[in-house]
Amino acid sequence: MATPTTLAPATDGVYKTLEDDPLVRGNLSFHDVTEMVAVHTEKRTPAAWLFWFAVALGGLSILGLSIAYLVWNGVGVWGLNVPVGWAFDITNFVFWVGIGHAGTLISAILFLFRQRWRTSINRAAEAMTLFAVACALIFPTFHVGRVWVVYWMLPIPNQMNMWPQFKSPLLWDVFAVSIYGTVSLIFWYVGLIPDLGTLRDRAAQVGRTTRAKIMGFFSLGWTGSNRHWRHYERAYLILAALSTPLVLSVHSVVSFDFAVSIVPGWHTTIFPPYFVAGAIFSGFAMVMTLMIVARRVYGLENLITVDHLEKMNIVILVTGTIVGFAYITEFFIAWYSGVIYEQFAFRNRAFGPYAWAYWIMMTCNLISPQVFWVKRFRRSIRISFILSIVVNIGMWFERFVIIVTSLHRDYLPSSWDYFVPTIWDFGMLIGSFGLFFTLFLLFLRFIPMVAIAEVKGVLPQADPHFYDGHHGDGAGEGEGFSLHRPGPSGVPYRADEGDDKR
Amino acid sequence: MIELDVLSAADVAAAGRPAAWRSREDRTGAADYAAAFRRGEFLPGAADGDDLAADTGTSRRTFLKLMGASMAMAGLTGCRRPVEEILPYARKPEEVLEGVSSYYATAMPMGGVVHALLVQSHEGRPTKVEGNPEHPVSRGATNVFAQASILNLYDPDRSRRIWRRGGGTATWADFVRTVQQAGGGAPPAAPAAADTAATAAPTVTATGGLANAGLAVLAEPTSSPTVERLRRVLEGRGARWITWHPGGDDPAALAGVGRPLYRFSQARVIVSFDADFLGDDANSVWNSREFAASRRADDGAPMSRFYAVESAVTTTGGAADHWKHLRATDVAHFAAAVGQALGVGTGSPGAARYASDPFFQALVEDVRAGGGAAVFAAGPTQPPAVHALCAALNGRYGGGAVSYLSTGAAPEPPVGVALQQLVADMQGGRVQALVMIGTNPVYELPAGLGFTEALGRVPLSIHLGLHRDETARRCTWHLPRQHYLEQWGDGRAYDGTLSVLQPLIAPLYPDSRSEIELLALLATGQDRAGYDLVRETMGATGPGNEDAWRTALHDGFVADTAFPAGGAGGGAAVDLSRLPVLGEDDVEIVFRTCPKVYDGAFANNAWMQELPEPVTKLVWDNVAMMSRHTAERLGVRTVLEDGKHWADTIRLALNGGEATLPVWVQPGHPDGSISVTLGYGREIESDRERRGRGLAARLFDKDTNHYREGPIANGVGANVAPLRRLSTMAVDAVRADAIGRVDGGYLLASTQDHGSMEDRAPVRIGTLEEYRAHPDFAKGADRYIGETPWEVFPPLWGEENSASEDPRIGGAMYSDNQWGMTIDLNACTGCNACVIACQSENNVQIVGKDQVARGREMHWLRMDRYYVGGTADDPEQMVMQPMFCVHCENAPCESVCPVYATSHSPDGINEMTYNRCIGTRYCSNNCPYKVRRFNFYNWSRELPAEVQMAQNPNVTVRFRGVMEKCTYCVQRVRRVQQYAHIENRPIRDGEVQTACQQACASGAIVFGNLADASARVAQLKRNPRSYELLGELATKPRTSFLARLRNPNPRLAPATEADPPPQPTGTREPTHS
Repeated sequence: MATPTTLAPATDGVYKTLEDDPLVRGNLSFHDVTEMVAVHTEKRTPAAWLFWFAVALGGLSILGLSIAYLVWNGVGVWGLNVPVGWAFDITNFVFWVGIGHAGTLISAILFLFRQRWRTSINRAAEAMTLFAVACALIFPTFHVGRVWVVYWMLPIPNQMNMWPQFKSPLLWDVFAVSIYGTVSLIFWYVGLIPDLGTLRDRAAQVGRTTRAKIMGFFSLGWTGSNRHWRHYERAYLILAALSTPLVLSVHSVVSFDFAVSIVPGWHTTIFPPYFVAGAIFSGFAMVMTLMIVARRVYGLENLITVDHLEKMNIVILVTGTIVGFAYITEFFIAWYSGVIYEQFAFRNRAFGPYAWAYWIMMTCNLISPQVFWVKRFRRSIRISFILSIVVNIGMWFERFVIIVTSLHRDYLPSSWDYFVPTIWDFGMLIGSFGLFFTLFLLFLRFIPMVAIAEVKGVLPQADPHFYDGHHGDGAGEGEGFSLHRPGPSGVPYRADEGDDKR
Repeated sequence: MIELDVLSAADVAAAGRPAAWRSREDRTGAADYAAAFRRGEFLPGAADGDDLAADTGTSRRTFLKLMGASMAMAGLTGCRRPVEEILPYARKPEEVLEGVSSYYATAMPMGGVVHALLVQSHEGRPTKVEGNPEHPVSRGATNVFAQASILNLYDPDRSRRIWRRGGGTATWADFVRTVQQAGGGAPPAAPAAADTAATAAPTVTATGGLANAGLAVLAEPTSSPTVERLRRVLEGRGARWITWHPGGDDPAALAGVGRPLYRFSQARVIVSFDADFLGDDANSVWNSREFAASRRADDGAPMSRFYAVESAVTTTGGAADHWKHLRATDVAHFAAAVGQALGVGTGSPGAARYASDPFFQALVEDVRAGGGAAVFAAGPTQPPAVHALCAALNGRYGGGAVSYLSTGAAPEPPVGVALQQLVADMQGGRVQALVMIGTNPVYELPAGLGFTEALGRVPLSIHLGLHRDETARRCTWHLPRQHYLEQWGDGRAYDGTLSVLQPLIAPLYPDSRSEIELLALLATGQDRAGYDLVRETMGATGPGNEDAWRTALHDGFVADTAFPAGGAGGGAAVDLSRLPVLGEDDVEIVFRTCPKVYDGAFANNAWMQELPEPVTKLVWDNVAMMSRHTAERLGVRTVLEDGKHWADTIRLALNGGEATLPVWVQPGHPDGSISVTLGYGREIESDRERRGRGLAARLFDKDTNHYREGPIANGVGANVAPLRRLSTMAVDAVRADAIGRVDGGYLLASTQDHGSMEDRAPVRIGTLEEYRAHPDFAKGADRYIGETPWEVFPPLWGEENSASEDPRIGGAMYSDNQWGMTIDLNACTGCNACVIACQSENNVQIVGKDQVARGREMHWLRMDRYYVGGTADDPEQMVMQPMFCVHCENAPCESVCPVYATSHSPDGINEMTYNRCIGTRYCSNNCPYKVRRFNFYNWSRELPAEVQMAQNPNVTVRFRGVMEKCTYCVQRVRRVQQYAHIENRPIRDGEVQTACQQACASGAIVFGNLADASARVAQLKRNPRSYELLGELATKPRTSFLARLRNPNPRLAPATEADPPPQPTGTREPTHS
């Protein structure tokens, strides 16, 4: 529950009648919100953005070079060998798919559960999802031995009468991830339409006709009419309902790659829920990392408040603990099963040649999030930021541990070996971050990074009873002019410093 | 079928011209034609329409469409890559049918004996070597060297031209002229004319050769009667002939006991004194078969008990029931002690210390107990006295199980003496001409001899060899030698059976000559064809007439020509009192021929370099093998880090030679001893053209061409041959402080890092006693299933998904046969012949040392080696397990492939469709046996043209990015199926043999039709020892194993049980307590 210190000053006591905890701070008006977000897509390109974009492009070119070298020479450029047929490739794939979970979870499931705090972060989280899925898809595509025929995994009718095998979990992956990517893209785009309309109108007002035309094209003729809003909200609700099962299914299916196999350490029924929890865990951590930076750089502290961060930290704490519980359960089951191969696999995980990776994973994923039991820590920006990175390191190692330690020592001791990554393994990993940040920086530059329309919906003004006696104020705000009473004028958008100092 | 209406009666009639008609119905307008006409507006064929078109098969419009499309597509073919024509024979040789291989009998000479072979030839190109099934020694099996020898034929670094020092290349005619001039005799006729058999009037007794007192021949050991005949001619004229084998003297020959032929099958007790009779023995094929027969304990058959006393760790020792490790010098004393206790021999100064050894006591007691033959074998590290002792012991206790063959060869003095004399004469200028046949003395001889310097003083030195090697470059003449598959020749197998070598292919390099052609030239001054020389010899000693000659060629040998069994020194007192005694602080150095590259003859054979050494599993290196204790004493070690072995290197400097070798710590190796192998550190010069690489390729191409850097033998390992002492070549000793650590961090590539079975039991082992009491002891180790039928644990994908079980495929082609295999671990010794046989048959590529160290070796058939019992430094046993695809009925690999690249055939083979594979590697991850191999790079991209010729045309050469694995030699299955189909009969049991099965001397691998209850494989599946590896996973493998048996001496058994082994031997205690 909110403490008095976290409350913005309640001028007339109306807040308390709405909800205890305002989702947006600074007593912003609708126009303020529009300005705060839209201006970043309209102003001249800042030098800092150009700098970081160049850095990201550098990472992207590492990816390009790594892929070119890989395709030219073969999978042997990586450190793989025969017991360890997958390593960094599938680790990276699962890692990125996992990160891609938070966006749709925030957008869809929290939407359905009427978690209104999601509105400040859902746009960026969804964008992150799309970019993470794009990064993820690189790995299963290019990890195959003959990438030029990778389309054989798709059910394309052809003259050779060849058809993929639907028993294979890899094929399920193809469907799960591509459907997830497609639905997420549509969901994201549909959510963007009102904001694109806003951008179009703003461009038209200042006479930037080209920009207005482009935005007009993408906003699909949005006028903000009641009819549009009704259709839009219905579509959004349907898409949210469609996305919700996907959030759960996609990582469950990814976990089947392992669970369906007979490799000790992979063949585990706990994988689907454990993978989904892990995915949400890592996804939220990634959203956290990105949002903490973005709110500071773009001055969005009033939109993305410490309350948001705290809520995400609670999710991280819960999912991290679920994941840690799963780790321990696996050990119990290995012991309880009486299967020596299982028992060995888990002993080997914790104490074998890859024990270092295992204990990095345990430390990062199970132990470190426990600090969020303390409210002071989960409201601390600095700790949140560090931990969000720690969690993602841990989650990368979780996939590495599952994949590599299980494979490197399985049934017959004669075939045991060790995996050592090469620079091209690291090149692909670093390069995928290059791709991700390239896309994310483009997103920050050209697309409203916060869902303007949705945030307005959770402003106090949006409530018809906000100003007692002024029914209708703030509802159905048109573009470019405001029907509601403006907020305190002359107050710059500034951080609620009391919060940031923590 | 396109049929156009040519005539239209209606049109014609309408035009008022006389009606043309083509049938009665047409003319009368009767029946269908008229009806059809009435139905539509247009005549049949004139317009589209279902029923109209049906009349004529096609409509005009369809015709135009078809023609248009045909034209367009005909044009499109121009976009395709140009078709490379395969030229047919201009004149087709008789008996050659393209695509159908033929077999010819021949023999491979090696180490003084020949191995009888049957060689497969595709359109005149030999591709695969098999044993000769009719031959008494081979019985269809081969050793690993014979299997690999095919690649020696296609060695791209073989010498191609005649080299003359100072003069570059020369022609054979030049050489003939040189010899004739040097010989001083009147040159007969023109040398070129003498090339043909027609002018072969002169016999070898004619004068005109090179022979005089100044001629010396340094030749490899040979059993060829033709060589023997020419040798006698040369020796008759004062030439000196020295037989040199890189392994040194044959101590049995020095002992004068004759050539031992062991019949282990008749033995009750077998004792080996450092005899690796299953490994580096000229008769290993025979020995393996005999030994396996002596271990066949099924159906109450007796089983031998084998005591091995070894100075190294060999596969033979691994097969023993009781295994003892002593330094080679101490082995001799141990043998003396055994002899003394058994009443043979004098005993030795070091024998007394074994009196209280339980191993010794048990052994002696067992031999004394009687009730069957006891066979004693001594190895090449043992002095002649021990061989004489063994002969005496065999004479007394052998019960006829060992016969000593008299080869008829005159006894020769120790080679060291002869060589010393030769070098002295060379230095003194008393050798005018030195001929080296198949030997490489500069590389092989001890450094202390000073041969290399002396060679420079010989005015005419002639080297005949396959490579322009270390010696060739220092000779005045180098002649390229013919490979045995290119030459005519003859030779005797170990037991003396005479074989004729017939060429399977014309010499790849026209300048090359065989040793008999060279010798004939030297002896007679005549340039004669090998064929005539062999015929001439055969006329004198063997099949002279045409019929007998043809029979000999066809059969590959001449029956009943084996050596007679001579007398062995039975019971005679053998004097062992002068055996040398080695101080406890001395470190013994034992030199052996390598089980992979032999004496270096196979060093440029990529298959052999990449073959895992049977015990260490090391590739592409030779090591100084020692025990952990010795390594600690020397302050060196080998560490396994990041899956790679990093070794310290040591410098061995003795007898004027020096070598730096990486250390390998070998469990079971005796303390105070270092084992080294010959044949490495080669310096071959090659004329092969090598393609350079452009800058772009060097920057971006991962180089996978192992042949690029020149001969592959060069730079691999170190040559230890010069370190040897002239008197005792096999064994020497050095003070421990004379061995110094040089460096650390030398990368050794081993295909198996983990030697323990952990708590699993991939190899199930039981004692004979246990087997008699509980014949099905092996099944007890199915720890999760036990007695429960595995059907209780349903597989993820039901049986109906298995092609062989699918009722819809019931009548499909091939489904009559359900292929399966058994591997008898009790017979397998780990000799590696199957590994190379598989590689040769299935075009398995090599990947190089670096890639093996990364775990990317491609061998479809790997030989797993586990240590059992004892301690980490001194295991009780070493067991071998050939592992390759077991063709699971419920194959985990099949269900995870997203593109159906691996699937089940109707006859139960787990098949790989390379064309379909996209390389996800999921199948490999999900294979519990880890038998799948992935092409991480394009290993075959730059194979030299010669090596390409060694590939089997019936098997795809795989591209990068695809998975591959054992196919049960499906190409062989299909070939036999075709023959059976043509002859309209079922396939006979044993008609299909996989390559590994065919090579196996001990008959451990049996392949056949499981659907036929009488087939041998089906019978073996019913053997109580049969078990399925990882059967608890319900993979239902088609290959099953037969558990290994031990026959320990009960006297020694408690001692081993008191010291509980770290790994269980695979029996489940509760079942049999």
